This record gives sequence, structure tokens and C-alpha cells, in this order.
Amino acid sequence: MKKQILSTTAAVLAAGLTCQSGAFAQTLDYTAMSELFGEPVTAGATGAPQRASDVPATMVIITGEDIRRFPERDIPGILRHYAGMDVTRYGFGDGQVNIRGAATGYTPRLLVLVNGREVYLDSYGYTAWATLPVQLDEIQQIEVVKGAQSALYGFNAVSGVVNIITRNPELGNYATARVDGGTDSYTDLSLVAAYGFGDRASVRFSLGSTRADEFGGYPGNTGAAGFGDVEFSRDTLALEGRFALTNKVSLTTEFTHSEVNQVESTSIALAAESEYEITSYRAGIEADTDLGFLTVSGFRNEVEVLYSFGLNETSLTAFAIEDLFKVGTRNTIRLSAEYRDGESNSFPAPGNGDFGYETLAASAMWNRRFSDTIELTLAGRYDHVDWSRDGDPDPALYPFSREDYDVTIEEFSYNAALVWRPEFGGTMRFSTGRGVLAPTMFDIGFGLPVTVGGNTLVISGDPNIEPAIVTNYEIAYDRSLSPTVDLRAALFYHETEKDRGAFGPVPDLFPPAVNAPAFLFGNRGDTATTGAEVTLNGNPEGPWNWSVNYTLQSVEDDLSPFGVNTVRDYEGATPSHLANARVGWTGERFRADVLVNYVSSTDVPMQPAFGSVSRVSVDDVISASFRGEYVINDNLSVALNAQNANFGDGEQTNANTLTESRFWLSLRAGF
Amino acid sequence: MRFLILPVIAGALISTPAFAETSQRDLEVIGRALGFMEGVSGSDRTVAIVYDAGSEAEAQALAGAMSGGLSAGRVTLNARLVPMADAGSLSGAHAAVLLGSASGNAGVFSAASSAGVMTVSTDMGCVESGQCVMGVQSAPSVRIVVNRGAADASSVSFAAAFAMMIEEI
Repeated sequence: MKKQILSTTAAVLAAGLTCQSGAFAQTLDYTAMSELFGEPVTAGATGAPQRASDVPATMVIITGEDIRRFPERDIPGILRHYAGMDVTRYGFGDGQVNIRGAATGYTPRLLVLVNGREVYLDSYGYTAWATLPVQLDEIQQIEVVKGAQSALYGFNAVSGVVNIITRNPELGNYATARVDGGTDSYTDLSLVAAYGFGDRASVRFSLGSTRADEFGGYPGNTGAAGFGDVEFSRDTLALEGRFALTNKVSLTTEFTHSEVNQVESTSIALAAESEYEITSYRAGIEADTDLGFLTVSGFRNEVEVLYSFGLNETSLTAFAIEDLFKVGTRNTIRLSAEYRDGESNSFPAPGNGDFGYETLAASAMWNRRFSDTIELTLAGRYDHVDWSRDGDPDPALYPFSREDYDVTIEEFSYNAALVWRPEFGGTMRFSTGRGVLAPTMFDIGFGLPVTVGGNTLVISGDPNIEPAIVTNYEIAYDRSLSPTVDLRAALFYHETEKDRGAFGPVPDLFPPAVNAPAFLFGNRGDTATTGAEVTLNGNPEGPWNWSVNYTLQSVEDDLSPFGVNTVRDYEGATPSHLANARVGWTGERFRADVLVNYVSSTDVPMQPAFGSVSRVSVDDVISASFRGEYVINDNLSVALNAQNANFGDGEQTNANTLTESRFWLSLRAGF
Repeated sequence: MRFLILPVIAGALISTPAFAETSQRDLEVIGRALGFMEGVSGSDRTVAIVYDAGSEAEAQALAGAMSGGLSAGRVTLNARLVPMADAGSLSGAHAAVLLGSASGNAGVFSAASSAGVMTVSTDMGCVESGQCVMGVQSAPSVRIVVNRGAADASSVSFAAAFAMMIEEI
């Protein structure tokens, strides 16, 4: 359960952009490199491979070994135990994740990647975590990069990036089968395997199937009544092939498919049940050439979501090319270009014309190691986005014509970091970034008539909406307090201007300016967060290890009035204090972990029915979870998991559902 | 070959300064690093241990650690003891660990580089002066420094990912 918050030293910060998180993201031999350097390695912070202690961004690396010891069944559950991670559990499968700020419904501020492929949904820029076609048993490591990273990763990476990397099948055969069974009809089957065909070809196969009773609705929310009778279901498949075309050129292909039915919270705090069906294709060629490490890659995501308010069909096709190389012995350069095409059906109401966007982007990163103690990294990215619509929304209802959707957005983002290793020990890091939270499909092209009090109104996207701009400043300090205790600390400030993509219960436009009153996804003001986080990790000699972390968050909103033009209230919804503790014990055949989480009180928005908006107080929440694993032999183990063991039939953690205790037994066979 | 051996012998006659001994942990780091050297197939690596009179015991200890093959990540290390005066016979080795006054000795480096052998030492002064391709330190944290000029002279190159994670001078 080695937890690493990276930061520090020199090395490369920013790196090219693109949809791919770096040429080395999955090809890096993490195991061999980690054993060589005695610490985790990553390509997630800059695109260039780096040792954990060299990464110039505040970063957490969660290894596969760590993951196995959590009494958790999904990635949001794992992330909640780390400093600076805000996680709200809106349903059994809907855990929303944000970094250093409220995890609201459909949180759009986080970029999530699986092997470099974007998995957040283009409809609203959020991640439906249950749809990720990844089993916990096949993860090499999860990398969390904190702070705005748009110059490195592109739009949406404004609070941070979560990069999930699966085990590379080129580096050895493996097979794992796991069966879980527990309370509330919980069953989970996971099969993962990798096999190499000689030295030139290898495949990875992954299959997962989960069923469980959803959490019951929060009694104060009439819109969530009956949620306890809903069955959560999740089925995923992934197939990856890797081919060494020559000793220095490799080809990767991947196909994934996932189907999920879950209870969730929408962006306007409505409780809902949704069905997802997502298919993806990915391919990339990587070549180690005299011109540097060249990568040409592409992916396509095809997404169908049956929301409570309509069927949304989107596709995203992206291509990227990048080159990573060194100039002399002290400079690392990364150049990249990207093209992406996003399309959506007329949504939710049909007949308004399909719509979408095309993006061209270019970026550059330069890292300079001035000395053994000082290193600078600068990165910049330029995005050019053209939106269009191929039909006219009904002029009797909607305030915009087809021509109004011909809009262009141009934005520049940057990252900069100075890393300094002072003589008094440890590593200090000064960093800043400008991130861009681009308008989504909902924000631009949404169109839905609603009837309120017998009157027809419309909810509409707004082609005039502007990107939200997030600026981040951070000072961090890492050092070893003793050979067995590490300290990681950071002070941070980030501000969001023109927070976008929200509307409230009061229309924004009225007749006679428009034919029907219209609610618009619009820009709703500014918000800023100041805070600090500190983590202590202890790995003493012997069977025990431990970790504690604390996060302070202070939010100041300057938004449109709550309950009028927005249902957002970051001040109320962001817990001021987060604290987590863990103690682990490892014996010859038995392993045990105890974890405690504390989340301070919040006031969160609730909207049981459209137009009925209020705030609900959520008291301080303390949860305790346990896991004990007995290793029967080299191939077989059995584990008892108790998640939120003190919650019983339900603890209020949000305004939609009550989070329940869940217990399950896990039988795992690995080869 | 005589023109190579003479400076080697001359170097050996110079009084030997105190060098930090190469530990088994250093050896493991060297071995794992060898796994990222390009142009070498298979998993077996022959490591020449080049020593002077003052470091013979250290050399014997390292050879003992590799007796029967020392597994280090992707590769298995097998030792070949080479007295400094015999540095001209390094051909066939994949790497040469330089001990005592062999570290930093121009003649040893010249002999090794002409044979395409990757020279490595735990004495960072060796790599900084360009008389070794690689300098390795395993404690308190792993540090690997590669002298690019020395690597080029020795026709030695490393995988791109590895080259980006170490210090190059």
C-alpha cells in the first residue's frame, strides 16, 4: 500500500498535449523501471518517462498492489482515500470525483484517461466511472495529476487528470479470475488475461460483470423514491493487441465495450436512472527514431446514453501526432498536434439538427535542467474549435437558428513549473497553469421543451457560451522525515472564471425577446478555492505500514444567485475538511487493512422535480472500512471486505441517495 | 595492443586513492541498467570486473555475488575477473565494472571503448571526467549518470525511455 505523492525534483513538467497522455504511457516497463530506481515511475505528468521523485507536478501514483488492498470495488472508492480528492457517492455505481473542490453531479472538471484514451463523456464532460472498461485486477497503476493541466492534456483537465494504465501484455503472461459475492445482491465477476505469441505479438483480454441493488433514495428527495429497487448492472469487455513491427516500431490496437445501468445525479442535481452503452477503438504506432520518440495515434468513442430526458448519441474521433526528444543533455522537448471531431444527434428533442465540433490543436513543451538543484518546465497549447449544426431548431420554441451555431472558440493554455532542491533538504515546487473548461455538447446544442404549469418552456444550449478559465497556483514541499516516514505538503489556490454549463429554475430569456421562455446553459460567474493538503506515509520495518492525510478547502463563490439562474453552490457543496487514515498489516499469509475517512459537513443542492430547488444539509460523515485477505497458496486467496461498515442501512452523504454499508467475500485466483 | 596496455600499467603504478566499494546493491542497479542497453539480445550479460591490486578483494567479492549468475531484472549477470593490466582483453564482455584505480584510468577506458564495452563505476568522478560511460550510486537513492560522449566513443546506446530517466552529461 505504498502511496506516493509525486512532486519534486527536476525534470520535465509539461509535455505536449493531445489525447494521448504521452508516448510512453503504457509502453513503459513500469515494473522493471520501478525496480531499477526503487520508486514508482510515470509518464503521466509530462508525457516523458520520469521517476516519481522527479515529477514536477503534485501527483499520486496508486500501484496495482495498492489497489488490491482496498476494501473498494471501483476507482472512485479508491481515490477517496487520498489527499485532495473529493468523491461523492450518488449511487452504487455513480461515484463522482473532483480534485480540490466539490464533486457535483456530472463533475466536468476532471480529465480521465484509460491507456491515454479519453473516457470522459463528450456530452457534458463528465466521467461515468462504472462504464470504464477496466477491471481493478488488470490495472498497472492509477496516476492522479493535480491542478490545471490543459497545456499538457487539453480541454477539461482543469482540476486534474486521472490516468489509468493497464498491465502491458508484452511484458509477461498473466491471468486472474475473481468472484465476489456480498450483501444487497452484490455479485462481481472479473476475468483478465494476457498472453504473448512469441516476441512479436501479445494480447490482453478483460471481462467484467457486476450486479447489485442500488442505494435507497434519500427520504427527503421525492425524486429519488424507489431507487432501492433499481438493479445496478455493469458489463465490460476489452481486447488489446500489441505487435512489435520492428525492434523500434510497435503497433497497439484496442477494442472495448461497456453497458451500464445506474442511478446518478445530473448536473442540475436531479436524481435519475440512466443506461450507457459505449464502444471504443484505439490504435497507435510508436517509433523510436533518430528524430525522437514518435507517436501517431487515434481513437474513436461511440456513446449512447439513455438519460431520463432523452437518448444522446455522440461520437468522438481523435488523431494525434507527437515527438518527444532531447536537445543536448539538459533539454527535453515535446511537440504535438491533434485533430478531433465530435458529433451529437439532435438532443434530447429530435428534429433540431445534429451538431458537433472540430478541433485543431498544437502544443509544445520545453524542459530545462539548469543544474542538479533547479529545473524549469514550460508548456503551451493552442486550440481552435469550430462548432456547427446541420439543422434549424424549431423557431417557435428555440431562441437560436442554425447559423447561430457557427461559432469558433480559440484558447491558449499554459503550464509552468520551477522545481528546486534546497540545501536544507527536500524538494520545493512552484507551479502555475491556465486550464480551459470548454463548452460541451449540452452547453452548445441541448434542446428540450418542458411544460411547467401548463406553459411550454425550453431548455436550450447556448452557442454564445464561453469557455470557463481555470487558473491554478501551487507551492509544494516534499521530504523524507526519516528513512521510513515521508512528508508531502502543498498550498494551492485556483480560480474559475465564467463557470459554465448551468441553469436554474428561472428562465434566462422571456417573450417577446423569444417565442418561448428559455433556460440556457450559460456562464454563471466565478469561484475560487484556497487550500492546503498534507500527507504522511510510514513504512517502518516489520509488518505494519500506515498513512494519514488531511485537506483544507476554503471556497469563495461569486456566482449567479442560487435557485434563480443556477443550482450551483460550490461554497456549500465543498467540504472544508477531508481527512483519511489507513493502517495495514502484512503477514506471511494474512493481510489486513483498516481505513477511516472523514468528510466535514456540506450544504448541497437538491431538485426533486424540475424547478423545485433547495439546499440540504449533510452532517459530518465518518466512515470505517476493513479488509482481511488470507493467501491460501501462490495462486489462490480469499478476502472479506467491509465498505463503510458503520453506515448500516444508509448514511446521508448527498441529497439523492443514502450510502449503505456493503460487505462482500472475494475469491481470487491468479496465475 | 601494446599502446593500450602501457598506459594501463602506468595508471596502476600511481598511488590509489580511497574509493567507495561497489556493493551488491550497486551491482544489481548496474545489472538492471544493462537491461536497457540497445543492441544486445538474450538475457545473459557478461560483466568484466576490472581491478587493481588494492581492489582485488572487492573484485573477488563481486565475482562471488555473481557466481552461478546474478539475476537483475531482465538480465542475468556472469562475472569475468580482469586484472587492470589485462584491460586489453575485455572484448566479449557487455560491461566492465571498474574498481580502484581502474576507475578513471584513461587506458582502461580506451581499451574498453575500442572493444565496445560499456564501462561503469560507482565513482562519479569517473563518469564526470569521461573515463566511464556510466556512474551508478545506489544509496541513499538510485542515481545513474551517463556521459554521452563516452557512450558514443564506446558505441553504446540505451533505450529512449531509460535515457530520459537518468542524468546525461
